[in-house]
Amino acid sequence: MRHIILTVVILAGLSASAPAETITTTVNGMVCAFCATGIEKTFRKQPEVNTVHVDLPKKRVTITTKPGKTLSDAKIKEVVTYSGYTMGKIVREK
Amino acid sequence: MKTIYRLFFCLVLTLAVALPAQAKPLSYVGGTMVMQENDETGYTLSVDYTFDPHFALGLYAKYEINQREFYMAGPELNTLIKRWNLPDGQGNIFSMTGAGIARQGSNIQPAAWAALLADYETRRWFFSYEPRLVYAGDIESSFWQRAYAGFAPYLANYDDLNTWLLIRADHHPAKNDHFVVTPVLRLFYKTIWLEVGYSSNQHVMVNWTVQF
Repeated sequence: MRHIILTVVILAGLSASAPAETITTTVNGMVCAFCATGIEKTFRKQPEVNTVHVDLPKKRVTITTKPGKTLSDAKIKEVVTYSGYTMGKIVREK
Repeated sequence: MKTIYRLFFCLVLTLAVALPAQAKPLSYVGGTMVMQENDETGYTLSVDYTFDPHFALGLYAKYEINQREFYMAGPELNTLIKRWNLPDGQGNIFSMTGAGIARQGSNIQPAAWAALLADYETRRWFFSYEPRLVYAGDIESSFWQRAYAGFAPYLANYDDLNTWLLIRADHHPAKNDHFVVTPVLRLFYKTIWLEVGYSSNQHVMVNWTVQF
């Protein structure tokens, strides 16, 4: 029993200390700040997301996930599409 | 002076129609937009909820004061027909259709309206064109068209106050002023949008939109 509890505690600790991920995606069509609020709000609603930064001149959105969490390419594409845009290239950093 | 306005209107219209286009009666899925317009034609209020990337459902109401006074209100469906997401620009074609009632004094008639809205914008340039049909029995039966053309004097980032200088041209064949031109200052910051202008027939225009 003690071993099980210890294993759970260690796994939980490892999960919490897992690094956050920084994901940057280019977004085609994102030229208007008023309209880009939709992309920021939709990403912020995702439980895995910690911060969202919109860079209009570079047409990029940078998302930082919560520690130990990630967002799949499919999910990013869904959010970008639901916000009315077309997704470009994705770059991931740990 | 009127000839200059007409020539400018033709130029604006030509520019707007010559380009692929977009406009925003839709926001993002789950987003709600409240739009209110006050201009020489009257006072308009619409509230739209975007429930799909291509559709928004809302309520539209207008108190018309241009030549004749009447109220018109009803549900409206806004549809994104086509969008072009380009690396440095975006173009759209939308339709707005609605049906409800119109009231002029004690006269109440069924009403329907349909519009197309096309626009194209980059971070520097904006063009739009909107033709609209309104039918409300013997209260109102008209066609009008509107075009915008303008530019951003500086390229603002997402967190900045965005400023645009535009010319709006309205053509109302069935109304007193067939051609009305309005220089417009457009400001927006995050989810708040404001437009102010002063028309060639000496009316103040104030439009605002809030998105949440």
